[in-house]
Amino acid sequence: MTLLRRLAGAGAVVVLLAVPYGVTYYGIHIANLVLIFIMLAVGLSLVLGYAGQVNLAQAAFFGMGAYASAVLTVKVGLGYWAAFPLSVIAAGLLGVLVGLPSLRVQSHYLGIVTLGLAVAFSAILVNASFTGQAVGLPGLPVPPLGPVDLSDEYNYYYLLLAAAGLLFALARLMVTTELGRRFQAMRDDALAAAHMGVEVPAYRMVAFVIAACYAGVAGALYAGLIRYVSPDTFSLAIMFLLLAMVIVGGRDNIYGAALGATVLLIVREQFVDLQKYQQVAYGLLIVGMVVAAPEGLAGLVGRVWIRVKRAIPGARVTPAEAERALGEAEVSGLGVDDGIAARAPLALVQDERQPDGVPALEVDGVSKRFKGLTALDDVTLSVAAGAIHGIVGPNGSGKTTLFNIATGVYGPTSGEVRAYGDRVSGRAAYRICDRGVARTFQALRLFRSLTVRENVMVALDRARPTSLWRYVLAPWTFRRRERALKARADELLERFRLSRVADFRATNLPYGQQRLVEIARAMATGPRVLLLDEPAAGLSSAEMNDLRELVTRIRDSGITVVLIEHNMGLVMTLCDRVTVFASGRVLAEGTPEHVTRDPEVIETYLGDADLLATGDGRP
Amino acid sequence: MDLREILQTGVGGLSIGAVYALVALGFSIVYRTIGLVNFGHGDVLMVGAFLMVTFFVNSHLAFPLALVIAVALTATMGFGFERVLRPLERKDLDLMLIGTIGFGIALEGAAVLIWGSEGQAMPTPINDTPINLAGVTVRSYDVLVLVLAAAVVVGLYLFLERAKAGTAMQAAAMDHEAATAMGIDVARCNGRAFAIGAGIAAVAGALVGPRLYVSAGMGAAVGVKGFAAAILGGFGNIPGAIVGGLALGLIEAYASGSRGSYSDVITFVVFTAVIMLRPSGLLGERTVSRP
Repeated sequence: MTLLRRLAGAGAVVVLLAVPYGVTYYGIHIANLVLIFIMLAVGLSLVLGYAGQVNLAQAAFFGMGAYASAVLTVKVGLGYWAAFPLSVIAAGLLGVLVGLPSLRVQSHYLGIVTLGLAVAFSAILVNASFTGQAVGLPGLPVPPLGPVDLSDEYNYYYLLLAAAGLLFALARLMVTTELGRRFQAMRDDALAAAHMGVEVPAYRMVAFVIAACYAGVAGALYAGLIRYVSPDTFSLAIMFLLLAMVIVGGRDNIYGAALGATVLLIVREQFVDLQKYQQVAYGLLIVGMVVAAPEGLAGLVGRVWIRVKRAIPGARVTPAEAERALGEAEVSGLGVDDGIAARAPLALVQDERQPDGVPALEVDGVSKRFKGLTALDDVTLSVAAGAIHGIVGPNGSGKTTLFNIATGVYGPTSGEVRAYGDRVSGRAAYRICDRGVARTFQALRLFRSLTVRENVMVALDRARPTSLWRYVLAPWTFRRRERALKARADELLERFRLSRVADFRATNLPYGQQRLVEIARAMATGPRVLLLDEPAAGLSSAEMNDLRELVTRIRDSGITVVLIEHNMGLVMTLCDRVTVFASGRVLAEGTPEHVTRDPEVIETYLGDADLLATGDGRP
Repeated sequence: MDLREILQTGVGGLSIGAVYALVALGFSIVYRTIGLVNFGHGDVLMVGAFLMVTFFVNSHLAFPLALVIAVALTATMGFGFERVLRPLERKDLDLMLIGTIGFGIALEGAAVLIWGSEGQAMPTPINDTPINLAGVTVRSYDVLVLVLAAAVVVGLYLFLERAKAGTAMQAAAMDHEAATAMGIDVARCNGRAFAIGAGIAAVAGALVGPRLYVSAGMGAAVGVKGFAAAILGGFGNIPGAIVGGLALGLIEAYASGSRGSYSDVITFVVFTAVIMLRPSGLLGERTVSRP
């Protein structure tokens, strides 16, 4: 199949190179605009589709690139190529400015803030004298390029093709490696991503800056092509057109973005023949497209591609491929009933850092108040290294609140949580992850658009945002890094008996396996302390036995386990010590036998539901 | 600026703010019912303003009658939009949003076809004479705008709280599954939300028409401000839309009073700062996520 893929790729390159030989002067002008919009749309797809940051200022970034180039060449007198990198940097700086609100607000709130800043930018262009106000700046220089005459649009096409090709290749590298994975993890679930060590604020800013730089390149090249800039080229209408390109193409798919840009721009030009009906027809076409092809153009192409492949004798379509393109999950009965292999230790790295005698987790006088409600009231408890420690208590007694404080969802009102003597409470979730505290969630929080393997790879990946320079300066290093990361992920999945589902989207698996993936993902961060929030909820009794074995093996590989659980049968057989919570306070603590005999515990918690007899605390 | 000027500018700000509040209400009512941001909303307003040009200015109908016709036509149009986009409801709000952009583009095109690309000026329905209130000069049209906007708000409030169709909409907004289980036709509620949003937009268009120049491009400018007003007050929150609209109008009035052509820059920078300090908006509830 790779042969078919390569042939298609080679064919595409040949067609792209031959375009100037087959089109009129007007045609090449459209082709040039298409290439510029591909750069803009791919950049927007990275920030909006992959990183999930609603950026409605892409047209303003485009304008910044174009205007910076214009002002620097016409007003300052720099040469075109000297102004070029400065224009891209200017757009990138605007990206930083517009991206800042993303640290505080998300979704449509971020949309209107970025849109508002874009409107403010337009207002500056229209009013400032150095931008030529509403008229704009004419008479920009032709970019010099040796003997090549770039005032000829046929020649300019190749410059744009090279730029668009480079940016597209870079985008492809980014989305298929760690950056794309982290973007998607953060988009699917920012909180879970932070718990897996993703520095969410940094990556949000990175997404904006990348999109802005893509638009900056497009803008500077646009200035060299049209040699005239005016405010209405970078208006809201263009922003909405870009948005339509990315979404109609297929949100998190850079091929889709490129396709969307091409199709929408060409269609718009075709409608020029309709003259005054053009805009109406174009608007209705967009409406028709979203209603008729909701999976986007890329989804449509992928669907057709899989059907073609299925029809070719000898071609193999893996269930994972079919799932991706058609949404057909064929995972039932895959390894669900397999017990967990009781051989290899479950930690990838045996941890040698544990100082003797220091408790793995210390909760020291922690209180947490939400407005009027006191969720935790002066809680103190200590978990010995190497223990399996249970936390039980009625719903609303503050158990998950404690986990949230210990993993950085929010800080405590007073008090402190320490892991191996190191304060973790009040720190950002990704920093706590680095300090060796990992968790699972009561309600599953897997990254839904990532495969099982990718879910684990996000957690395994310890690269910092500061290493992102590699994408520009050492892109060849990623092949080896990715291969090494994949090998480690596969090793871990093997130990969790998840190898067979590694290529499926995690959220398409049966529930019990999803719980297992969450534990595997938490283990991939290399924790010293693992916090499990109701790991047995929703599991069958067979799966429960597997879980019991799994947790024991996790402890045996040197990791301290703290688990919140309602199932008293599991707590009794698994835990070394148990802490009982009631109304945000510690009610009792001791061995399972000890606490279940405590009269106060029986009265406030166990007595009312007769939990010991049924062995199930869930209604 | 002395106190008198401050007050005068304030009344002008409240007047334009009332229009923003109406636009924000339109955004909010659709958002809280369907969860959708209707990006075509500004263009519906523009159509409303042009309909007023047709019926009030060109056909010389009485202002109230022209207004009723314009509201009825845009509301029907809003209902139609919802009907076309219905297959995407509860499935893909992003695509639905693009669909509303598509409608917006089509409406702008249609407006150019019907009313031309030149745009038209619209006179005020009453004599815009300055009234002197305790030394503060107030323009009478500003007062009319405030009164009409307040009437719309009261009407909407009564509909949502008292009318059966209104409470059904509230229920559908809170939990569409439970509402369906109670026998409420959620799809019809969604259609009504669109229709009401569009109708309010027409009122806003009619009121802002004499203050701005009525043109095919006016929807984007007013729409963005109205959207910002909705967010500023707390998105989907009806009292928030009113407070946000008035606040944005005041910010804008004082900004253009002191810096003229850079008022948009100041307005949106102030808006961004407020939203960063208070992400849930002025009246929005801060929610604690429960992982």
